[in-house]
Amino acid sequence: MQRKLLQKIGLLGITMILILALAGCARDDEKSMEEVNYRLKWLFNISVVGDLYAHDSGLFAKNGLKVTVKPGGPEKDAIKELELGHAQFGVASADQVIRAVSKGAPIVVIAQLFQINPLHWIYRPDKTPLKTPQDLKGKTIGITHGGNDETIMRALLAKYDIRESEVKLFSVRYDYTPFYQGKVDLWPLYRNAQAPIIGAKLQKAGERFALMDPSKLGIRFVANSVVTTRKMLEERPETVKKFTRALLQGWQEVLKPANEQKAIDTVLKYNKETPEEIVRQQLPATRILMMPTPDFEFGKIDSAAWRQTEEIMLAQKLIPVPVFVEKLLKPVGEK
Amino acid sequence: MRLELKELNYKYPGSVGDVFRQLNCQVTEPGFHALFGPSGVGKTTLAKVIAGDIRGFGGEINLQRIHQILYTYNLERIPGWYCIREHLESITPESNRQRLQDLVDSFGLQPCLNSRFSQLSLGQQNRTNLARYLLQDFDLLIMDESLANVDEITKEKIILKIKALFPQRCFLYISHNVVEVSKFCKQILVLRSHHKAPQAVSLQGQDFNGQRVLKEKDLEQSMLEIVNAS
Amino acid sequence: MLHRRVYQFLIIYFTGLAALMLMKYSLHLSDYTIPGVTEIWTTCRRYFALYLMAVLNTLCVAILGHLLSICMATIVGIIGRLTIWIGSFIRVAAYNIQAYPIVAVAPIIFILLGDGLSSRLLIAAMICYFPLLLSFIGILSEPVKEIEHFFESTRRMNWGLQVKIRAFENIHKLITVIVGSATLAMVGTIVAEFIAANAGIGYSIRIALYQSDLAKILVALFLIGICTSIYLVFLEWLGWFIKKRFGTI
Repeated sequence: MQRKLLQKIGLLGITMILILALAGCARDDEKSMEEVNYRLKWLFNISVVGDLYAHDSGLFAKNGLKVTVKPGGPEKDAIKELELGHAQFGVASADQVIRAVSKGAPIVVIAQLFQINPLHWIYRPDKTPLKTPQDLKGKTIGITHGGNDETIMRALLAKYDIRESEVKLFSVRYDYTPFYQGKVDLWPLYRNAQAPIIGAKLQKAGERFALMDPSKLGIRFVANSVVTTRKMLEERPETVKKFTRALLQGWQEVLKPANEQKAIDTVLKYNKETPEEIVRQQLPATRILMMPTPDFEFGKIDSAAWRQTEEIMLAQKLIPVPVFVEKLLKPVGEK
Repeated sequence: MRLELKELNYKYPGSVGDVFRQLNCQVTEPGFHALFGPSGVGKTTLAKVIAGDIRGFGGEINLQRIHQILYTYNLERIPGWYCIREHLESITPESNRQRLQDLVDSFGLQPCLNSRFSQLSLGQQNRTNLARYLLQDFDLLIMDESLANVDEITKEKIILKIKALFPQRCFLYISHNVVEVSKFCKQILVLRSHHKAPQAVSLQGQDFNGQRVLKEKDLEQSMLEIVNAS
Repeated sequence: MLHRRVYQFLIIYFTGLAALMLMKYSLHLSDYTIPGVTEIWTTCRRYFALYLMAVLNTLCVAILGHLLSICMATIVGIIGRLTIWIGSFIRVAAYNIQAYPIVAVAPIIFILLGDGLSSRLLIAAMICYFPLLLSFIGILSEPVKEIEHFFESTRRMNWGLQVKIRAFENIHKLITVIVGSATLAMVGTIVAEFIAANAGIGYSIRIALYQSDLAKILVALFLIGICTSIYLVFLEWLGWFIKKRFGTI
């Protein structure tokens, strides 16, 4: 009896030692991984599917990185977090980057996510036919005061010599009621994220809709890009390379049509509020904006678009002096 | 005029012991009467039962030619936005206007008229409060320690004034002062603890009205009776 | 009184600013993260007049909202003091409704009423309403027996007199809660503007946040603090005047 008891205790002890050893090994593995924080620009949605996929599929881990992907939001600023050391990588739009650099923020751009800015304006072609930009005259155009849609619209109006007095600029908020009620002719939204949702509502009401793309009218304003600090690039270049490599690979894979279901599942895992059928519509819209052609090299930095963005901001006095944006562009992942 | 309490029973809500058990007493004529008893025996409670502020008691209260009963106690205050003059004028019925100045003079309230209640001394406050009740129409006025904090000379003056002004009204004066109840009251209801029977004992007081000489021996006798009855 | 409040605010504000500068220079942060003194001063000069008008706009809405909530709280408090079913219903409803966060309800109000004055006013009133209501209900429900007894005995009591007695007896508490809720009114208006309006200093702060311009936000905060302090001083003076007029001091 005593012997059996001793045997049981011995077996239990060995099991515990094994468990601890394995856990210790796992901890050792984790310890060898570099820990970095990656702050996104907005909440988890279709626009960050590649970031989440790179994390979930183990691409970061394969490159020796333990990446914590953190959602952004209206009160979060990735650039400030980089400066304060709370994050090592972040996502910011070009206007954010240029504004920050003009104030001395030591930021560099290592990849560009959106090749075409997702910011479009939705309108009803039956009620508001827009054949040329001049047709904007007399229209009520929604803009977010202080936001980059205001900057883009003002650049568009300036490019086509439309005075502000010839249009009516309407300050928008989070609810679309003024657009649904027909009080506003053009409403800003993100083509990949919101257009499927708003468009579905309009179609349900028997209305046609169309999207005005500023880039097709010659206004190329760069959107979300991956940034890090100059110090990070100089002191930990290998980490930056590994991160960028894993991230771009993740994006490239998840945007392949063959991986559509994986992409959808990834979004739905982190965003339970958006229905699957909407995500299914958002994905191809996102693909076009990030990879205009199937063989496009994902993450490529469009210097010309960056320069135009800087020029627009200078013209609108959003920055006092040029920042010479080419100096910030440090494509790490490009071949 | 008659006030009769028959087989009165009462217990405080939520308490175990009775306050009154088979209490019987009566006041059969107008005048200045007293309700006397040791502290905590239930004088204020009895006053509130008579005035109708407390219900839910057992037994009967019979009233004859007593239609309006008022109860006043020494902690009452007048609203802070009034000065004394304004308040007294606002609460005095037309029929009693002439009495107002008489009471003000008798109660020594002239210096207080332009003050607010909070600016008065405790004695002045008690007198002001009592004066306003005396200006109302009532058949029975129960005065619960209404002349506390008033000096003896003024107190005597006030009680004698009340007796002179209201000979046909009934007063029930609650006091701990055995001398003053013996001296000024016609009938003294001595209230005792509920485990004593009878719980209320009625005694004769000296009913001094200032117009006769009060014998010290008679006063002492009344006081002794009251103390023994308690 | 005026000097004390304003000096207190200035001490707090500039202490906060000093702490920010300390953080900026010790951590070598750029002007984007924490703007330097020069940038703050330049921004102040450029936007002072604009932001001052915006703050005054907000303050007007806040004061109107505050008055509205005082009236609402008084009316509901008067009804809520009743011992019949409507009184207890109102008391229970008030306690339960105050649990709803106004920032969740605000967008709905803006959808229904648009982004004009009425929605900002309603939100400002609602934010400072519930603390006022709870105090008013508490005060107006609590009998002041030593005063009310005479009027009840002599059948002179009516609801107006009862309310007047209870309000007067608790005038110190009422003034304290009104002064305290003034800050809430200002906060509520700014929150409402921030969420969904297109006027006022809250709206200006939202734009500054979109632009990540902390200098503008600091200028706005300065003006908000000064104007709110002046409003509080005015309310405290008004309270002192009322107490003196009715002899409670």
